[in-house]
Amino acid sequence: MDHRLYFVLGDIAANTLTGALIGWLAGLIVGTGWNMMVAMLVLMFLGMLIAGVLSLLIGVWFGAMEVMVPVMLSGMVAGMVVGMWASMAPLSASSAALIGAVCGLVAIVGVWIVNNSVRGVTTFESTGESNG
Amino acid sequence: MVDNVTQRKWDKAAPTFDLIAGAGAERRWEPFKRALFSNMDGRVLFLALGTGLDIAAFPTGQNITAIDISPKMLEVASSRVANYHGDLTAEVMDVHDMTFDDDSFDQIFTSCTFCSVPNPVDGLRSLRRVLRPGGDMFMFEHTGSRYYPFKLMMHLMTTVTKKIGPEMDRPTVANVKSAGFEVLEVNNLFLDVVKTIHARKTA
Repeated sequence: MDHRLYFVLGDIAANTLTGALIGWLAGLIVGTGWNMMVAMLVLMFLGMLIAGVLSLLIGVWFGAMEVMVPVMLSGMVAGMVVGMWASMAPLSASSAALIGAVCGLVAIVGVWIVNNSVRGVTTFESTGESNG
Repeated sequence: MVDNVTQRKWDKAAPTFDLIAGAGAERRWEPFKRALFSNMDGRVLFLALGTGLDIAAFPTGQNITAIDISPKMLEVASSRVANYHGDLTAEVMDVHDMTFDDDSFDQIFTSCTFCSVPNPVDGLRSLRRVLRPGGDMFMFEHTGSRYYPFKLMMHLMTTVTKKIGPEMDRPTVANVKSAGFEVLEVNNLFLDVVKTIHARKTA
């Protein structure tokens, strides 16, 4: 993860707010009459798509790929979780937004954890030939 | 012959490019780019100068030839080019159709370029032609990911972004190898998506 406070706070804000928005939208769209699996799949895809568009706007302040990837994940998870939840039981708008925000927070922390294991240098021994 | 479709796309993006890419992304990437560009030495070719946002991270006193396919981008870059403390020239040129002689440069640098070059392996082969044997290429690039669900997201975003600019799911490290370079180092900066690549033209 980026340790500069501006980006740490920006990442947290971007993902919790995106999660809250997608959660709120999912709560609006999905009713208890929906099939749970359909609700999960539709809102997962829709959440990811809307979050992807949002990330282009948020990226103006906080970066490109470092914003787009976690924000899309937040949208996907928030849409999936709230979509499933709202199909099973009535959910108020504030509860849907809160669950979405928590999903966003979990998503950004998850990306930080994965990033810490994936990032870093890989060197290849020089053989003097193309390694294609 | 210049790729007019690509040229028009980037000419169109030029007036708003700094607004979209100039604050968040450049601020986030600036320390990594500064570290990569600190390797500059000798006759340097910089590919895809754009509006010149990268110039702030160039070390001073270098001999750099920069190219970009878009004249509108280079118009925006002109004041940054003029303010650089060193020998920096910028020319409108398509990487697929460069007029430089073979083995003209000691080093090549790219920055978020091969997400946008229409035929990346051909473009990289062109770079290999103008790089001297044993010369190094340093790249700051974003690529696709091999990890799910990130891989899926990059494919999805590419369907939108390629119409206005870059593709998010390019296998650039593999492309560099396919073009005949020897890849010496890959440094993943964010997941396996944002990275620097150090490659060499073997003799």
